[in-house]
Amino acid sequence: MDSPSTSCSTASPAECAPAHCRRSCALEVIDELLASPGAVSGEESDLLLDLRWRLRRRDDAEAALRLFCDLRLRMEQRHYLAFFRIRRWLENHLLASIRTCPLAEAQFVGVKLNHYCVEAVRRVSLCTALERGAVLLAPRLRFTFRPVEAAPIPSAFASVTSAAEAAA
Amino acid sequence: MSTATKSTTAAAKKDTRVIDGLNLVLADSYALMALTHLAHWNVEGADFFPLHKAFQEQYEDLFEAVDEIAERVRALDAYAIGGLTTLAKVAQMEEFKSPMTQKDYVAALIVAHEKVTDDAVRTRDIAGETSDLQSQDLMIKRLQAHEKTLWMLKSYLKN
Repeated sequence: MDSPSTSCSTASPAECAPAHCRRSCALEVIDELLASPGAVSGEESDLLLDLRWRLRRRDDAEAALRLFCDLRLRMEQRHYLAFFRIRRWLENHLLASIRTCPLAEAQFVGVKLNHYCVEAVRRVSLCTALERGAVLLAPRLRFTFRPVEAAPIPSAFASVTSAAEAAA
Repeated sequence: MSTATKSTTAAAKKDTRVIDGLNLVLADSYALMALTHLAHWNVEGADFFPLHKAFQEQYEDLFEAVDEIAERVRALDAYAIGGLTTLAKVAQMEEFKSPMTQKDYVAALIVAHEKVTDDAVRTRDIAGETSDLQSQDLMIKRLQAHEKTLWMLKSYLKN
């Protein structure tokens, strides 16, 4: 199993701080689900492994989101906390890239997973772009992973004093 | 105060790691208290009454805890951190965006309690290494409270 520090390459530390990531890294949550005896069926295990592979490769956010929505519908009532953690992780790692018309420059908006189907998530993301004043002529929306940046590994409490001083 | 107690407290005063740890747990607890208070106000749905009451008990416990932790920092001849900006910056806790479902409030509070628990465990261990038994005891007490709350919140999410 990957250690949390290597499996979760946080793109935006402000939104997904490493301190939070340790217990809520999506890959780690999936591993815990797979390791729990009797927690998942054979078919669910296959789908979870597919989702894990997609999240690790970070090359097809659309497919990852479809798999997540499918699994969420099947499993969330039995594993609410696990799916809450994966949902929050995805919200911190995904972006919706929206072109208001085919030639327009892409705008990026955060993804909120308050709905159970990809098309509803897509619609909400388009509405967010509309709220920003964009006129949608022939809109194109593509889900993408946030670009990866190496997140600093925090030392135990080194940041407490400096953070307190900086805030003051 | 016995000679042994005096000497352990004196040694702890020199070790800023314990003070930093206590201040971190103080910030975490304050942030968690604010989040629990928010959940208490904004939770809606069929389980409103039990959740509203449970969240109130939890933030009241945290209110007492932050006072105790801050006073321990002062007993070590250091200053407790404070002010909402400083506490939020140190705690780095993800804030809720209301409205949320009842289950999401509970799940988000679980994640926040786990953050406090992780930091309290590290502080307890450092206090143990430096023989600061009073700080160690305080962290153990806080861990007991957080673990009990985690058990209750996780039980709510079970089908």
